[in-house]
Amino acid sequence: MKTSRRDFLKQSSLATAGTLLIPGFLKAFENRPLQLGDKKLVVLQFSGGNDGLNTIIPYRNDLYYQLRPQLGIAADKVLKVSDQLGFHPALAKLRPLYDQGYMGILNNVGYPNPDRSHFRSMDIWQSASDSKHYLNTGWLGRYLDASCKDCNVGHRAIEIDDMLSLALKGEKYKGMALKNPKKLHDELHGNLFKKLGDKNSASTMEDPSMSYLYKTLAETISSADYIYSKSSVKQSSINYPETEFSARLKTIAQLISSGIDTRVYYASLSGFDTHVRQAPAHERLLGVYADAVHAFVKDLETTGDFDNVVIMTFSEFGRRVSQNASQGTDHGTANNVFLMGKFLKQKGFINETPDLHLLDQGDLIHTVDFRSIYATLLDKWLQADANAILDGQFKKLGFI
Amino acid sequence: MLEKLNHLYNRLGFGVPITLKDSVPQERFDIDKIFADRAKEKPLHLVEKPQVNVDEMKNSSDEVRKKKRQKSRTEIIKLNGAWANQMTFTDTFIREKMSLFWHDHFACRIQIPYLVQQQNNTIRKLALRSFRELLLAISKDAAMLQFLNNQQNKKSSPNENFAREVMELFTLGRGNYSESDIKSAARSFTGWAFNSVNGQFVFRPRTHDDGEKEFRGKRGNFTGEDIIAMILEDAKTARFITEKIWNYFVSTEIQDEAIISTLASEFYKSDYSIEKLLKSIYSSDWFYDARFTGNRIKSPVELLASIQTHTNGSFDDVASSVFAQRALGQILFYPPNVGGWPSGKEWIDSSSLTFRMSLPSILFRDAETNFEAKDDGDVNNLTNDVTKSKIKFTADWNAIANRFTEKNTVSTLQKIESFLLARAATQENRKLIEQHAGNSSTEVEFVKRAFTSFISLPEYQLS
Repeated sequence: MKTSRRDFLKQSSLATAGTLLIPGFLKAFENRPLQLGDKKLVVLQFSGGNDGLNTIIPYRNDLYYQLRPQLGIAADKVLKVSDQLGFHPALAKLRPLYDQGYMGILNNVGYPNPDRSHFRSMDIWQSASDSKHYLNTGWLGRYLDASCKDCNVGHRAIEIDDMLSLALKGEKYKGMALKNPKKLHDELHGNLFKKLGDKNSASTMEDPSMSYLYKTLAETISSADYIYSKSSVKQSSINYPETEFSARLKTIAQLISSGIDTRVYYASLSGFDTHVRQAPAHERLLGVYADAVHAFVKDLETTGDFDNVVIMTFSEFGRRVSQNASQGTDHGTANNVFLMGKFLKQKGFINETPDLHLLDQGDLIHTVDFRSIYATLLDKWLQADANAILDGQFKKLGFI
Repeated sequence: MLEKLNHLYNRLGFGVPITLKDSVPQERFDIDKIFADRAKEKPLHLVEKPQVNVDEMKNSSDEVRKKKRQKSRTEIIKLNGAWANQMTFTDTFIREKMSLFWHDHFACRIQIPYLVQQQNNTIRKLALRSFRELLLAISKDAAMLQFLNNQQNKKSSPNENFAREVMELFTLGRGNYSESDIKSAARSFTGWAFNSVNGQFVFRPRTHDDGEKEFRGKRGNFTGEDIIAMILEDAKTARFITEKIWNYFVSTEIQDEAIISTLASEFYKSDYSIEKLLKSIYSSDWFYDARFTGNRIKSPVELLASIQTHTNGSFDDVASSVFAQRALGQILFYPPNVGGWPSGKEWIDSSSLTFRMSLPSILFRDAETNFEAKDDGDVNNLTNDVTKSKIKFTADWNAIANRFTEKNTVSTLQKIESFLLARAATQENRKLIEQHAGNSSTEVEFVKRAFTSFISLPEYQLS
């Protein structure tokens, strides 16, 4: 017998009141359709430490070319967008977004006592801790904890991946990782999963670990069904480039336009650890990024969803100002962060150009704490209590 | 009786080894004997010569450096595989489980294979001895000195990294020392370094600050050893370690204050004997209370070790083992930071649970997986290259079927369930598994399906 999910929920709540799923969890998406104007945040992560100075290029700065004799991008190749700074040529597709005022760029973003190890610095960016403390939760996970008191749904934050990043893990609630809605749906219907998740008194057992496991399973199945049923309705009309990263952004666009109750999306692009022969690899990665984002924004504009979306792109650190002996760059500190949205209050270059004369042991010195950007997004965009989520007060910026 | 033994073995190690299934009940609860038989020490000797000369690396050409890095990474992966296997040996698993605990406690991540092996062997050797000995040895361990920058901690420019972590994460816990205690401790640890050719600890008097320091209310020309002795003198350290052991071996959710404080004071009085503390836990009556059984969520490494322990199976190659660790989110020798790995519920989210539940099909039934494990962005981390669409795992299903096949399928399933699960399955789940396994054409297939199903259950995530 085939039972629709709605029927099933009705039946089971009648038959075994109080034994199956928690009411709040049903309410969360059954009774609260996404309200018009709900803001969504898309976070894009460059893994490996993007070379910010070869992404946004200070093409007027002689020191830049002195310190990067082979690696510096020649001024005549740079896509000049201000009288000081320009884009790497592979970012050509971002140019129209910049010209339309959809892009804001913050330079010199970092944190005190920067850590140059990938895993630690990524940990710091994802957990929003300082460099002396260790947190087992992520900033977006804590946003879920703070903003979603009774809604046990995994899909309020979705990462397009097979594994969930620390950023989306809260104390109480966690986001959900999936590559594509159909794959997850099929997987969960292919074997024991569905049966285990559906009919189980174990989810109400007193043991907290046991009930947590079954609750997570039930939520996963319900969220997967819900997302799948919504997302299969609409297909994107925009052509995306044929890259894995593009496919991930396309999935996000589809989920956003399906109207599901998800506030945060997350995706990563890896390969930025360019110690050796950086130029070709970096050019390729920036191209993949720009082309994908270009299609993504066009897609969201077509559906009218771009009004409610802000995209933030970051990396765990920038690279050293001087190139190394292997035609590459080593781990650095402060870096640029990209913001994109239709109604940014500050557009173009929001703050000062990196100062290549004032370095700390060969590295840029940060002037903007990354947690100020988070605080701004949490407070002004997602309407959450940034101070509670970030464990400390950080200056809110003016870009929203 | 059997349930109690299962619980004991779940916490001592990674479950009752299938090969001991029938002999274990005879061991009864002779904790001393179990420790004598199952906590033997087998050091790893895979990396032959110390090749730790950091300066030499710096001065080499790109090509040489690349090759060396490649070699290092391969060797760390081999160490990983060897250790993961050794966790399931019937004569070593108690020591290995404890070593895993200490690897998480003294979380350290470096890329020099000889030093990784040396630290692992030090932890293994002292895992059950006195925490005093262990702490001092780890503080003087080359890998830790390198990881927490004590090589750079000199009188002229003190580096506080080690001094801070030793108190915050390894002994006292946050809130029990001041920033100025950290500064004094850092000064006391100046001159602690290691010889980069042989990986041995050296004290360098010329970079040591032998001036007077004030540490937690005392004054003196303290050395690093003095600081460690004073930290251990404070019973808060005994309490901190006892709590951590409690969370790991007894319960993360339930904190029984009366029992914990008794254990902590015994631990302190025994001059930090780890073995005594563990034996005292395992010999108690309360340890076997229902509230403490089957309530811990296995970490990925524990999950994999328990599957191996329960089937006497193994990964065909190191790459498969490391891929499984990476996909589950815990790679030996690659803790996320000096604070160690997450624990309990932190391991479980929608995707990790889904993958855990699919794992038995991938391992036992050769199911293909297109799962992509995340990479951490570091080009020098070889575990990032370990991507496999097929994990190869072998178990002798004929032998397993022989051990478990009973007169009728219900008894067979019962026997398998009580062997594998730390917590009884619900009636509904039993029915599901009976239906699923019932389609089998042979006894071996029946047992294999039953194993696959039971190990797929959320219940199997618990120990």
